[in-house]
Amino acid sequence: MASIPTHIDAAAQQTAAITTGSLLVSLPPLPDGSFDTMLASLAAAFPTETVLVATPAAAPNGTTHATPGNIHLVPYTPAATSTTNWVLTAADYLNTFKGAGETQASACLLLGAECQSLTPEAIRALAASVTGSNADLAVARYNLGPREGLFNSAILYPLTRALFCVRSRYPLAIDLGLSLRMAERLAAASQKFISTNQSDALLWPCIEAACANYAIAEVDVGSRVLPQPAAADLNTLLAQIGSSLFAEVDARAAFWQRARGAQPSLSVDLSAALTESPDIAPMLDAFHLAYANLHEIWSLVLPPNSLLGLKRLSVTPANSFNMPDGLWARIVYDFALAYRLRTINRGHLLGALTPLYLAWVASHLVLTGNGTPPEKHIQDLASAFEADKPYLVSRWRWPDRFNP
Amino acid sequence: MWQQVHSALSQSAHRVLFKLASFLPGLLALLVAVIVLALVGAALAAMLRRILVSAKFDERMARNSTDALSDWSPSGSPTLLVARIVFWACVILGFIIGISAFDASSNGSQISTFLLPYLTHSVGAIVLLILGNLIARFLERSVLIGAVNARLQYARFLSLGIKWLVLVLTAAMVLDHLEIGGAIVELAFGILFGGIVLTLALAVGLGSREMVSRSLEKNVERTDPGAATEPPAASEPLRHF
Repeated sequence: MASIPTHIDAAAQQTAAITTGSLLVSLPPLPDGSFDTMLASLAAAFPTETVLVATPAAAPNGTTHATPGNIHLVPYTPAATSTTNWVLTAADYLNTFKGAGETQASACLLLGAECQSLTPEAIRALAASVTGSNADLAVARYNLGPREGLFNSAILYPLTRALFCVRSRYPLAIDLGLSLRMAERLAAASQKFISTNQSDALLWPCIEAACANYAIAEVDVGSRVLPQPAAADLNTLLAQIGSSLFAEVDARAAFWQRARGAQPSLSVDLSAALTESPDIAPMLDAFHLAYANLHEIWSLVLPPNSLLGLKRLSVTPANSFNMPDGLWARIVYDFALAYRLRTINRGHLLGALTPLYLAWVASHLVLTGNGTPPEKHIQDLASAFEADKPYLVSRWRWPDRFNP
Repeated sequence: MWQQVHSALSQSAHRVLFKLASFLPGLLALLVAVIVLALVGAALAAMLRRILVSAKFDERMARNSTDALSDWSPSGSPTLLVARIVFWACVILGFIIGISAFDASSNGSQISTFLLPYLTHSVGAIVLLILGNLIARFLERSVLIGAVNARLQYARFLSLGIKWLVLVLTAAMVLDHLEIGGAIVELAFGILFGGIVLTLALAVGLGSREMVSRSLEKNVERTDPGAATEPPAASEPLRHF
């Protein structure tokens, strides 16, 4: 049997060999100052434990970094490279697992871009979840503002929670703790994408863990600087992430149709509220323009009842603009179903979802501007998705059945 | 006199019956060839479908993200597309063999030399027509959705313009392929195509000048770093991701 090609640099192998069974922290490429900050955070998080720090640029620009005795740098040549740095991709999971295998680490921490903004306590808590408890996957929970992570709140979180019974608030979190078997599973999933030259493909660790019946822990990491996508516009990003999630839903249909119950979630802070009303006029304009032009395409995907709801919404004044949670849940479910059935071209389908998403954002902002705590609205929305799950299951199984 | 009329009529009847007798076997051969090849095609298509289903062809195509093939396939299934192509190829082959057999059985007739090229041209024209319609519909939707998401007020007008451009081009190609109309088609196509392009250019360039400049200004604003954010309405911008 052919052995896995070594991708850790020879100079670091000796270091790795003496630290067998340690925690491997996989870092993204960081600039010098950030890298030093990150090493200091790791030293503060793990004052006594031995930690291996794998990074494709352990010594950026050839400079030498002073590290405490228990922190060992493991420079490596990536087995796969990705151009996306604002979210974890298939290449990141594969590199982490290969690093863990070659250093014989006992668990991994996979941290995303701007990870120097994580506190030592947060890093320690993430690591403790996979080393100290029985969890195979530790997912970070961020303390974001009411106007941040809106796509996550609108689709990713409620859909993942309703279908896969995973209550992680950020299913696409960029800071993860992984047990070895979880890292192996993710690497196997990554390999399928990388073999077809899709190193930038997104993976859904929470869904992988749920399907494998692995324990998932959610760790509150507080505030963190979240990297933002560089140049792509909202339509492209929404299509990229939405497409990946719908494809995952399609691939895991056998699992989520049987999944029942939910894991306990962390308590949520319902007190945060918007201090000032943002301008929702551009989003409403986009929705009204789309309603006038895309009605024909929406009617291929949405049932008459949802179209009626959109019609009502199109004549609602801006100050009382409110998309009911049930309507949004139905829209997302019907789009997921249309993605599976290829009712229309998938690129067109996700393009047609963008104005509807903007309408939800406008509705969310109006609601929170009127005093409803954002987190409460998001939890209510997730409950609406859960309540409507039988609809999706039914339509998934019998898509041709009459649907008013 | 009566005998001459009787003789002429009987000779004509004899000639008609003779022609019919020599024509019917050829027709029968054509029908048999078409039916046999259609049956062979159906069997081949069924076998191919079974093989491709067992090889999970659809799943492999979907995994390799070749959306294009799936989008053109009936019911979104590449397997079904391949099976139907094989079936119809066999039917067309049956027609070609049948016409040749028909030609061979009817002495002195040159039907196949006239029909065969026209049949192949007709098949080509039908394929062109189907492809043209599919491409027109695809481009219409792409432009409509793209323009709506770019917040262009004249999105529908633009998409209809694109659709009719492709349809006119397709119609001209089909007629040219069938060698119908000759120079008139070329002339009419040039006038129509040029007319649509000129109309679009005038509408976008003159009638919607302000809208275009507003759209361009918005696009420039959107190319800032952190592009997945709405224009800052208040002190704190919106972050979708």
